[in-house]
Amino acid sequence: MILTQDPLWYKDAIIYQVHVRTFRDSNGDGIGDFRGLAEKLDYLQELGITALWLMPFFPSPLRDDGYDISDYRSVHPSYGTLDDFKSFLTAAHERGIRVIVEMVLNHTSDQHPWFQESRSSRDNPRRDWYVWSDTDDRYHGVRIIFLDTETSNWARDPISNSYYWHRFFSHQPDLNYDNPAVREEMWSVMQFWLEIGVDGFRLDAVPYLVEREGTSCENLPETHAVLKELRSKLDQHFPGKMLLAEANQWPADLRPYFANGDEFHMAFHFPLMPRMFMGVKLEDRKPIIDILQQTPAIPDSSQWCLFLRNHDELTLEMVTDIERDYMYDSYAGEKAMRLNLGIRRRLAPLLDNDRRRVELMTGMLMSLPGTPIIYYGDEIGMGDNIHLGDRNGVRTPMQWDGGWNAGFSSADPESLYSPLILDPVYGYPAVNVYSQKRAGHSLLAWMERIIKTRKSNQVFGRGSIEFLHPANYRVLAYVRQLKTETVLVVNNLSSSAQAVELDLRRYKGNILVEMFGRNIFPRVGDLPYLLTMGPYQFFWFRLRRI
Amino acid sequence: MWQLIVGELNYAMQEFVRSFARFLPRLLAMLIIALLGWLVAYILKIILRGILRIAKFDRLADNAGTTQLLSNLALPTSSELLSRVLFWLVWLGFILLGVQVLGIVGLQEHISRFFLYLPRFFVALFIVFFGLVAASFFSRATLLAAVNADFPSPRLLATSVRTVIIIFAVSMAFEQLGLGERTIIVAFAIAFGALMLGLALAFGLGGRDLAKQFLESRFTKERQEQKQDELSPL
Amino acid sequence: MSVGEVDVLVGVPTYNNAKTIGQTVQAIRVGLLKYFPRERAVIVNADGGSKDTTREVVAAASINDLQRSSDLYSLRTLPCISTVYANSPATEVALRTTLAAAELLRAKACAIVSPESTNIAPDWIEHLLRPVYRDDFDLITPVYRRHKFDGLLLRNLIYPMTRALYAKRIREPYAVEFAFSGRFCSHLLEMQIWDQEAGGIGTEMRMSVTAIAGGFRLYQSFLGTKPHLDRTSADLVTAMRQTVGTLFWSLEPNFQYWSAKHETEAVPTSGSECDLSVEPIRVNRKRLYELFRSGVAELEPVLKSILSAQTLADVQTIAKLPEDNFKYPHELWVKTAYEFAASYYKSVISRDHIIQALAPLYRGKVFTFLMENRDASANDVEANVEALCVTFERLKPYLLDLWNARE
Repeated sequence: MILTQDPLWYKDAIIYQVHVRTFRDSNGDGIGDFRGLAEKLDYLQELGITALWLMPFFPSPLRDDGYDISDYRSVHPSYGTLDDFKSFLTAAHERGIRVIVEMVLNHTSDQHPWFQESRSSRDNPRRDWYVWSDTDDRYHGVRIIFLDTETSNWARDPISNSYYWHRFFSHQPDLNYDNPAVREEMWSVMQFWLEIGVDGFRLDAVPYLVEREGTSCENLPETHAVLKELRSKLDQHFPGKMLLAEANQWPADLRPYFANGDEFHMAFHFPLMPRMFMGVKLEDRKPIIDILQQTPAIPDSSQWCLFLRNHDELTLEMVTDIERDYMYDSYAGEKAMRLNLGIRRRLAPLLDNDRRRVELMTGMLMSLPGTPIIYYGDEIGMGDNIHLGDRNGVRTPMQWDGGWNAGFSSADPESLYSPLILDPVYGYPAVNVYSQKRAGHSLLAWMERIIKTRKSNQVFGRGSIEFLHPANYRVLAYVRQLKTETVLVVNNLSSSAQAVELDLRRYKGNILVEMFGRNIFPRVGDLPYLLTMGPYQFFWFRLRRI
Repeated sequence: MWQLIVGELNYAMQEFVRSFARFLPRLLAMLIIALLGWLVAYILKIILRGILRIAKFDRLADNAGTTQLLSNLALPTSSELLSRVLFWLVWLGFILLGVQVLGIVGLQEHISRFFLYLPRFFVALFIVFFGLVAASFFSRATLLAAVNADFPSPRLLATSVRTVIIIFAVSMAFEQLGLGERTIIVAFAIAFGALMLGLALAFGLGGRDLAKQFLESRFTKERQEQKQDELSPL
Repeated sequence: MSVGEVDVLVGVPTYNNAKTIGQTVQAIRVGLLKYFPRERAVIVNADGGSKDTTREVVAAASINDLQRSSDLYSLRTLPCISTVYANSPATEVALRTTLAAAELLRAKACAIVSPESTNIAPDWIEHLLRPVYRDDFDLITPVYRRHKFDGLLLRNLIYPMTRALYAKRIREPYAVEFAFSGRFCSHLLEMQIWDQEAGGIGTEMRMSVTAIAGGFRLYQSFLGTKPHLDRTSADLVTAMRQTVGTLFWSLEPNFQYWSAKHETEAVPTSGSECDLSVEPIRVNRKRLYELFRSGVAELEPVLKSILSAQTLADVQTIAKLPEDNFKYPHELWVKTAYEFAASYYKSVISRDHIIQALAPLYRGKVFTFLMENRDASANDVEANVEALCVTFERLKPYLLDLWNARE
């Protein structure tokens, strides 16, 4: 298979998020690696995904799961060598799967040679590569992101007897983007990987690049300037590559990251995700429609990235206090499930392992405007382990079969990088790829089908969206349209059967073709279109005029 | 000659005895019927009395004000009276039946006419009775309404309402009985018409000022009262 | 309706209330969103065919994905539904419509609020609904801060008599704001109290009696001040029909219940039970006195069939007193009331006439009340009412004797 050369390939992509460490261990050391990942590319191709987003795999002391980088031009030895990565990349491309890697721009590990040099003395040439201060009261009032562990954005460095700025963990000092040398170097790092053949970058923590006194130090114009510069270089030298922004902000604040199509290609739509969960719990579409109506329009070449879960906690930063309390009470009854301002659980446990709800949420993920991201393991309904520290509960080994170490590794179970999930409901004997491959009704089989259906029509990735407002507010209905293609999506957010009457007068005369079974539903007439829906059911209809 | 007279007398005597002998069974029959009738009437009277007592007829009669009327006339209570009337009617009916058996011609016509007359009699009684009930109900209603609305001379109003209704009922009863119908109708019409005409004249002409004053005082008095009364009794 | 199941329902009966309805609905919304943010709620407006913009105002108050409220944040959709139940207003029908809606939507708690209460505050919603929703009570009646001369019928007859007979100290057995549970709502609808004797039967009063006699849990919530309404145009007789008439009517079917009760129980209450303001207010008492006297005189034949000879003689005696010395003693009033109740039960004359005949006598009692409390403080007035209540309770056996006599 050859990769499509469409510069807007990311609009039709189905992205699979995975950490190489969790997927497959080929050499029996208990840690997943690139050779193992390459072994499983066939599985991913069968699933139907078209792009892989790899979590950080650069060398790192691993105090923040790889986001604290100590060398930007290599691969962490546990995962293999740079050559392993290159062969993996080639194999992926052969199967039509693009690869997106993480680029942590904002900060490095304090073990990175640059920082070691920077802190050694005030006169060191790399001193200015980081943000130093003699006192810790500069940039006063800026919010702390890792509330559970950090108490300040400044950390005292005993070696140079001054303070350095870190928006995240104290062992992750922020790089100083006011320094042109830093910017040059980071571009050259990106260039290194692009030349190897990587298809895009997820740029981590971009709002925090630049600091200025008297501001929140987030989303500053100077930050945007840095990013635009990176983008223009990218377009110049490597057309067809993609930049994805990780910026946990309100939609209105996210808009500048798209600029006029000259900054990021894609950005995560963070605020939508908790509201999808809220809508299902409240059995009311209001939270979902509210946030999408508040979402500003973005340039044609830009795209939102949608996701249900990821490696981090289900963040509740971008909700009101009432909403946060509600989410905590509904979804994170135990204190252990809460972290920072979020909930650290996987998709299936969040939805009480209710197959119908999992399908409904996935259906919405696939039909709302944007590129969907599937978190590894959610396609088989993996569970989580909230007793592992930080966010590691959602980063347990992939469950391939019911045998030795769930087929993840041949090593001793005690030597695995993380314990396996063992309980009778989510444990690997119950939930694994092999059994689901054998069962035609499994979640995995269903996932493959829905991905296929989604890929069959470009309207989902590229079309416009218009919400319908039926009187029954438990039903979320919208119409996706792209040129002549019209698709009606109707979701029942309620746990009980519902009847809904849709105003489809604009589409009078069309027949509805249900997209999964291809069965024909009645023609749209003058009267409101009546649909009866089972609990948590959803429909995708293609409207056709015959 | 004497023998002829004796022979005639004998013959007449025999005839008399013969016809008497023929008449006697009928007479006896009549007496038996009368006796039977008495028994039946008595039983019916007891039954009716019982029924009326259970149906609390006396209370209804009280409402109608008949009890008072009857006691004034030194008559027994309504249910007692009714039972007795029934007794007499039934017995009379049986007696008349017996008389019919006697076969005295000419009497039969009167008897049948008597029986035909009975229903109308009952209807008339009915009308008067319910007229009395209605009269007392409406007069009381008027009294209460007038008192609560502070109309002048409520009792006068109440009594006049009662009188009008009673007159009306009695006239209808007489019409039913067929006693001097036309007289009653005409008299009623004249009285009623005169009353209406008089009222019209009073308010239209003679009592114009008084009427004006009355109306004015009624309405302005109310307004005054409203201003003074910041409090309602609610 | 596409509203589906709700947890909380607030009903507002209206008829041409465009002036005040906006304020009412806003207070309800704020109250719901503040005190019940996570519960599924709905506002139901039972309208008697308003010709003004009342219904539009209510419908516009919905909070959903089409109509977002600029000043209020709502977690979920808050529908505001307006429905016309008839073309002429009737409280019973409005209440029935609201009850039917509550049952259809399976609401756990339901409150009724009057659009004419101009001083409604959002925490009324909390006061009314919390005892039902969280503490599982069945009927919540309000307690207001009133002027000492407000609610005279209530204080001189309805409250003491209901308290003595039904043995529960409910201060406002009929009110325009109250709340009830879904359980009680179903019970009311089952009882089909709507089909009987329509017109003039006070539904709110009936509800309270049903709740008491049915053993439901009662609670009183202090809401606020009740503004002194201008009710000079209201008819005393109509009001008495709906309240006194209903009370008397209810005694027969509930005889088993009230005849067995001897001790009155207090009803759990939030806030102070009685709060009176004592601003001076002008009162025309003379008219009351006149009406009493003329009533007693003119209605003698009627009163003779209702009252016992002794009581009638006593009443006639006091009617002869001059205005300054006039006093309708508590005991005589209680006997009057009880004899009327017994006569009502026995239907000595038409029942409606019995109620009408009580009106002038009541006026005499009110006159006495106003005279005695002209300069009284709030506590004194309360003591006075309490004394009346105690007399009612003490003479309850008298009523029972009358009731059982002539059986």
